[in-house]
Amino acid sequence: MNKALSSFIFMVFACLFFAACIKDTNFDQAEDIALTPVVELDLIYFNLQAGRFFDTINSTQILTVRDTTEIRFLDDSTLQESLKRAEFHFIFTNSIPRDFQVDFQFLSELNDTTYVAATSVAEGTVATPVITEFTENVEGEGILSLTQAHKVVVSVTIPSSNENLEGTLNLKSKTTYFLEY
Amino acid sequence: MRNFLTIIFSLVGVFAISQNKQILYGFDDIPQSLMLNPGSKVLQKKHYGIPFLSQIHVNGGSSGVSVYDIFKDGNDDINDRITQKIFEMKNTDFFTATQQLELINFGWRAKNEIYFSAGIYQEFDFIAYFPRDLAILAWEGNRDYLDYEFDFGEISTTGDFMTVYHFGLNKQIGKKLTVGARLKLYSSMFSYRSVKNSGTFVTRLGNENSENIYEHTVQNADVTVETSGYASLRDLDGAGQVTSEILGRAFFGGNIGLGVDVGFNYEINDAWALSASALDVGAIFHSKDVENYRAHGTYTLDGINLIFPALSDGESTFPYYSDLEDEVEREIPIDTLHNGYTQFRPVKFNVGLSYGFGRFNATGACDCLNVGGENLRKQNIGLQFYSIFRPKKPQMAGTLFYHRRFTEYLSAKATYTVDSYSFSNIGLGVSADIGKVNFYIAADNLIKYSNLAKAKSVSLQLGFNIIIDEE
Repeated sequence: MNKALSSFIFMVFACLFFAACIKDTNFDQAEDIALTPVVELDLIYFNLQAGRFFDTINSTQILTVRDTTEIRFLDDSTLQESLKRAEFHFIFTNSIPRDFQVDFQFLSELNDTTYVAATSVAEGTVATPVITEFTENVEGEGILSLTQAHKVVVSVTIPSSNENLEGTLNLKSKTTYFLEY
Repeated sequence: MRNFLTIIFSLVGVFAISQNKQILYGFDDIPQSLMLNPGSKVLQKKHYGIPFLSQIHVNGGSSGVSVYDIFKDGNDDINDRITQKIFEMKNTDFFTATQQLELINFGWRAKNEIYFSAGIYQEFDFIAYFPRDLAILAWEGNRDYLDYEFDFGEISTTGDFMTVYHFGLNKQIGKKLTVGARLKLYSSMFSYRSVKNSGTFVTRLGNENSENIYEHTVQNADVTVETSGYASLRDLDGAGQVTSEILGRAFFGGNIGLGVDVGFNYEINDAWALSASALDVGAIFHSKDVENYRAHGTYTLDGINLIFPALSDGESTFPYYSDLEDEVEREIPIDTLHNGYTQFRPVKFNVGLSYGFGRFNATGACDCLNVGGENLRKQNIGLQFYSIFRPKKPQMAGTLFYHRRFTEYLSAKATYTVDSYSFSNIGLGVSADIGKVNFYIAADNLIKYSNLAKAKSVSLQLGFNIIIDEE
């Protein structure tokens, strides 16, 4: 009986170990695993006083003001591979009684233009500032160009100005990055 | 990232539970039960573990998810399953992996009736709690989680790779009580931990007075990673050099620690016996080759503030981006420190209460295993309790067991265990003596062996010894 019993127990173990398996699973699905986070991130902001558009020393209009900042994360190779869509959102609050033309020129490290976006901003008054919103959706080929960019040049153009011009042009902006890893 | 996830989810399946050896505990026929209770009853006169084969133990698990949950064959999308699991799991769910390999294990009963035992084993122990918030952030991003405070405190993980040198004493005092203790010297080869972290990350929609649309705030962050045995590996060239460096540390080349195991077995009366043990009460003192990283501070990111300065020809504007990077580094500095630290070993407690019945008399003629005139029972049933200290809280397990001696050469133990992983864990262990060679194997979660993918944990121990019985 003992012999029978011991062989039985060994059989049970043997069966368990040979029968032990992983089934009803498909590990090829690992290929399909995709992280698809949607990240919201502030971009640039500024407050431009009306006085910036007039040179009081020389008594001349300054019709276009420019500033540049690096945005080094954009041409990062990881982002280049994983960015599927980017949505820029700009909110202008204008209390200057002029409309504006605002250009965003994206440049590569070697200063080649890779992507451009532009919008016009409606005029407001100091008493009742006017809000202009602008959304730039970038996907497909546009993403390829955008992710070559290393810096962005922001140009703000006023049709005319004088030394008595008052008010502020405010910009707040963010980008929504649709990623896939 | 995708590869990383695949590895994590695959590990969940391959490895199995957290150091609980419920089958081996109190299984006196196997010399390695002395490693779980240095005060357990020793039946043999001498034992020699067959080098490298006396105990092979792998053990791992994940409390919240199984391989099947993620990789099951079905029409639904694997990403939906992962999303569902991420939200189902709690920040107290964890992944563990433990592996032990005995290099040497031997013991003998001296003339003074003390059973000495000693040996060397190598151990790898890993635990990571599920950082739910950060998983959500990585998986979903912050768009749908405005005002939600992602908690860095959920990061809690430790990993140790070491060699343990041990020497134990075991003695029966009077008729009823057996006590034992084991001194352990730990030689750490590699260790890291990141525990007691704090801080939050939140994205809030700004108001009229805010600088920009959002405010991205890291609040009171304090995140630390301590490593020992890592810094010097970084400079080495290739896997060969790394391996030889790590193996060199196995022989006291790395950081040293000290610990004890204590335990007893008390026979309350003819039938009932109570036993308990505390294992790895000790610490490793990391002082050599220590490198720690600490990030701490509070910072709110608003984006890049353009000033539109009036510039002359050839003059360039402010380096906004570099300034921003500098500001972040200033407000949330990442320090590299080299101060030593003390890593307490995860203390394990075992308690067992057993009721024996049926006198064991293998041959009928001679009570061979029972020379001392003690009662060796044919069958035992009982309860066991196990707990192990982990960074967030102890993990516990309760076990019902049935142990039976079939012949002088064969005994088996069956267990039913309830723990963090499941309520349906059946285990079975067999110890067989073939001549002087003892072979044992113990495995749990047997019900899941038909499809290991569904198991949240698996534990397996097996080994070979040479046992010389009392004459």
